[in-house]
Amino acid sequence: MGFRTRQIHSGVTPDPTTGSILTPIYQSTTYVQPSVDEYLSKGFTYSRSGNPTVKALELKLADLEGGIDCACFGTGMSAVLATMLAFLEAGKHAIVSDVAYGGTYRLSTKILSRFGIDYTFADTSNPDDVASSVRDNTALILTETPANPTMKCSDIAAISEIAKSAGAVHAVDNTFLTPYYQLPLELGADVSIHSTTKYMDGHNATVGGAVISRTEEHAEAVRFIQNSTGTIMSPQVAWLTLQGCKTLSIRMDAQSASAMAIAEYLEAHPKVEQVAYPGLESFAQHALSKRQASGFGAMLWFEVKGGVAAGKKLMDNIDVWTLAENLGSVESLITHPVTMTHADVEPAERARVGIIDGLVRASVGLEDTDDLIGALGAALDQI
Amino acid sequence: MSRFLNFDTLSLHAGQIVDPVFGARAAPIYQTTSYVFPDTDTASSIFNLERGGHAYSRITNPTVGVLEQRIAALEGGSAAVCTASGMAATFCAITAILGQGDHIVASTQMYGGNISLMKNTLPRFGITATFVDPTDTDGFAKAIQDNTKLIYGELIGNPGLDILDLEAIGKIGADQHIPFMVDATFNTPYLCRCFDYGANMTIHSVTKWMGGHGVAIGGVVVDGGNFDWGATDKYPTITEPYAPFQGINLWEEFGPSAFATRIRAEAMRDFGPSMAPMNAFLLLQGLETLSLRMDKHLANTMELLDFLTNHDQVSWVNHPSLASHSSHELAQKYLPKGAGSIVSFGVKGGREAGKAFIENTELASHLANVGDAKTLVIHPATTTHSRIDAEALVAAGITEDMVRLSVGLEDVADIKADFETGFRAAKRIAKV
Repeated sequence: MGFRTRQIHSGVTPDPTTGSILTPIYQSTTYVQPSVDEYLSKGFTYSRSGNPTVKALELKLADLEGGIDCACFGTGMSAVLATMLAFLEAGKHAIVSDVAYGGTYRLSTKILSRFGIDYTFADTSNPDDVASSVRDNTALILTETPANPTMKCSDIAAISEIAKSAGAVHAVDNTFLTPYYQLPLELGADVSIHSTTKYMDGHNATVGGAVISRTEEHAEAVRFIQNSTGTIMSPQVAWLTLQGCKTLSIRMDAQSASAMAIAEYLEAHPKVEQVAYPGLESFAQHALSKRQASGFGAMLWFEVKGGVAAGKKLMDNIDVWTLAENLGSVESLITHPVTMTHADVEPAERARVGIIDGLVRASVGLEDTDDLIGALGAALDQI
Repeated sequence: MSRFLNFDTLSLHAGQIVDPVFGARAAPIYQTTSYVFPDTDTASSIFNLERGGHAYSRITNPTVGVLEQRIAALEGGSAAVCTASGMAATFCAITAILGQGDHIVASTQMYGGNISLMKNTLPRFGITATFVDPTDTDGFAKAIQDNTKLIYGELIGNPGLDILDLEAIGKIGADQHIPFMVDATFNTPYLCRCFDYGANMTIHSVTKWMGGHGVAIGGVVVDGGNFDWGATDKYPTITEPYAPFQGINLWEEFGPSAFATRIRAEAMRDFGPSMAPMNAFLLLQGLETLSLRMDKHLANTMELLDFLTNHDQVSWVNHPSLASHSSHELAQKYLPKGAGSIVSFGVKGGREAGKAFIENTELASHLANVGDAKTLVIHPATTTHSRIDAEALVAAGITEDMVRLSVGLEDVADIKADFETGFRAAKRIAKV
C-alpha cells in the first residue's frame, strides 16, 4: 500500500459494534475485565498502560515509519525523555546533536546530567565528529535531521553504522521531514522520534509525541518507560492527531513546494544575507538531503541584512505570517530562535553551532504561496 | 439493569452497555459521521427502520444514544431524542405532531424563546397558540379549540415561578385526546417526574441543571409512552402511513415510542438538529452527579431565601418554597424535594439599585444562562427586557427592581458575602 492510503487507513478499523468508521474517542480511565481468568483478554486495563484511541494512532505511526511498534506521549519532549530513560542509565554516555532542539539540550544538560548520565554534544553533520565522541559507555546517539533551527543535516546511515559498532542505540528525531519524506529506520536507525504537535497534527490543535522502534527489544524498553513514568498521550489528542495524519502527505507536498519558492525568493532578495533550505543548490548538505530524504520539508531560516534589529523589525511588521512558537502547522509561523526557542542555550554554545543572532526561522504553512511571499516582500521593504 | 431502579443508580448506569470491544468503563465518544455496514441487507434494514443500528450521526450516534436512554430512564419515559439545543427539542417535538391549521394552548409563563417560537415563528407556518395564565387551570380547558393538538407549559414558570397543576391539566388533555408537553428544565426528573402526573412528553434544555457545568448546549425530547395516539384521528403523523419509510405506521410499529420515532425519522433526518457526540459525553458527565448537585442547589436556595427575606435592602422575594407564594401548595405536591434554584427578588431603590447590585457582585456571574454550577444573576429590566417600557415590564411580570438569581453550588456564606457587597452599592444608589 502507498503512503497516502496508509496515512488514512493504517491503525484504524471500523468499530466492530457500531461500524463507526472512525475510531471512537475512548475517554475512559479503565476497562471492565470479563473475568479474572480473562484479565487483559480485550487488550486494555488502565489508560496509562494503553488506550484504544491512542493505540490506533500508535499503530498508524508505527506503520508509516516502518517500525515494529510506536509509543505515544503527552509531548514531543516526553518522547525524547522516554528515549533517554529507555536507553541510558547512570554511568552511561550519550552523544547528542549539538544543534538539537533547545528543549533536548536543556533536558540533557540541566536534568538528566543530575542522574549520572554524561553527554557529548557533537557536530552530527560530520560523522567523524560522532565517531570520535564514542566512548566505551556510549549507549545512545541522538540526532535530529534536519536540525532545529539550523537545518543542519546528519547522515542517518553513516551514524547508524557508528552506533551499531559502538553497541549504542541510534535515535533520530524525524519531526521536520516526517516518514513521508524520510524513513530513519530504513536507513539503519533504531528509533524514530516525533513531536506529533508538528506535521502529524498539522493544525496547531494538540501537543504530543511518539517514539517508533525498529525492534521488539527497543519497543519494550520504551513501552516500559511509557507505563512507568506515565508521560502518556490523551485519547482526545490521539483522536485529533489521527485526523491530522490523514492529510499529512498532501500538506507536506504543498508546504514544501511553498518553502522552495520562498527560499528561492529570499535568496535572490537584496536585503537577505543568507538562506538555509535543504532544497537550495547553495545548501551545504543539499546532496545528503537528496540522498536520504524524498523531500526537503517546509522549514527554513534566513538572515536579514542588518542583524538582530532588522530581523526583529521584519517579524514585528509582517502580515499573514504569525509570530509564534511551534512549527509544522498549516498556519505559517515565524520565530526568532535566539530570544524564543533556543533562549536556554548559552550564547557561546549557540554561536558555536550556528544559531546566529539574526537568524529568522520560518515554518511555511499552507496559505497561498503568493500571499506568503508578498507578505515577506512587504516586510522586507520596510527595513 | 432491571435490578437497579433507583434514581442515583440510573443516573450512573442507565443506557450504557459496557463497551463490548475493549470493556472501556466510560462511554466511548463516537466522534464519527458514518458507520460501516456489514452488508447491503443490513444497510437497507437500518434505513427502513426495520432494525436498530447506526447509519449516519445526524440520525443516531452511539454516544448520544447513551445520553438519550439515560434521560429516558431517569424521566420514566419510553424513549428520548437528544437535540443540538433545548429550543431545537421544543421545535422538533411540536412539528412532529402539529402542522398548518393546528393550535397550541400554552402557558404565559415560559422562557422567552418558547414564547417567541409560538407567538412569532410557528404562526408563519400556520400553527397558532393561545396563552393562558399557568395558575388558571380552567383557562386551559376554556382555551381549547377544535384544532388544538397540544397543551404546553413549564412546570416551574418563568419568570413568575408559578407551578403548573400537572394532574389537572393532564386530565384536561387526556379527556380530549390532546397530549400535554411539559418543559421540565427547571425541575429535572430528580425533582419531579412529570409523567407520573399526567404529562405525555417532556422537554429539557440539558444545557442547564442536567449538564450542570455550563460547558455544552443540548436539548432532549422525552416520550412518556403514555399517550393513546390511536384513540383519535387527530394525529396522522403518528397513526397514518409515513411515505418516506415505505408507508410505515409508527403507532403500529413502535407503540409507546411512536412519537420519539417520528422525531427521529423526520426532524433529525429532515431538519438535522442533532447533538454532537462530544456534547453528549460532557453532558453525561454532568448527569452522573445530578442528584448531588440538585440537593446542594436546593440547600443553598433555602439558605439564600432566608437571607434575602430578612435583608433590609430587599423589598420582596419570590420562590415557590416560600409559604407566601401563590403556588406554594402545588410546589409541595409536585416538588417535595424543593421547587428549584431560581429565585427572583426586588432590590430596594428600583431600576438603578437593581443595576448597582448586579454590577457590584463579583462571585455571582452576570449572564443570561441558568442552571450552572456557578451562581448567576441578571437584571432583566436593564438587559433581557431593556427595550420595553415600565408598563410592558409589569405585564411581563418583570419589575424594574427585579433581580433573577440562579443559585449555584458555591459555599453559601461566600454567596451571602458577595450579595452584601452588591446590596451596599444598591443602598448608596437608593439614597441618591
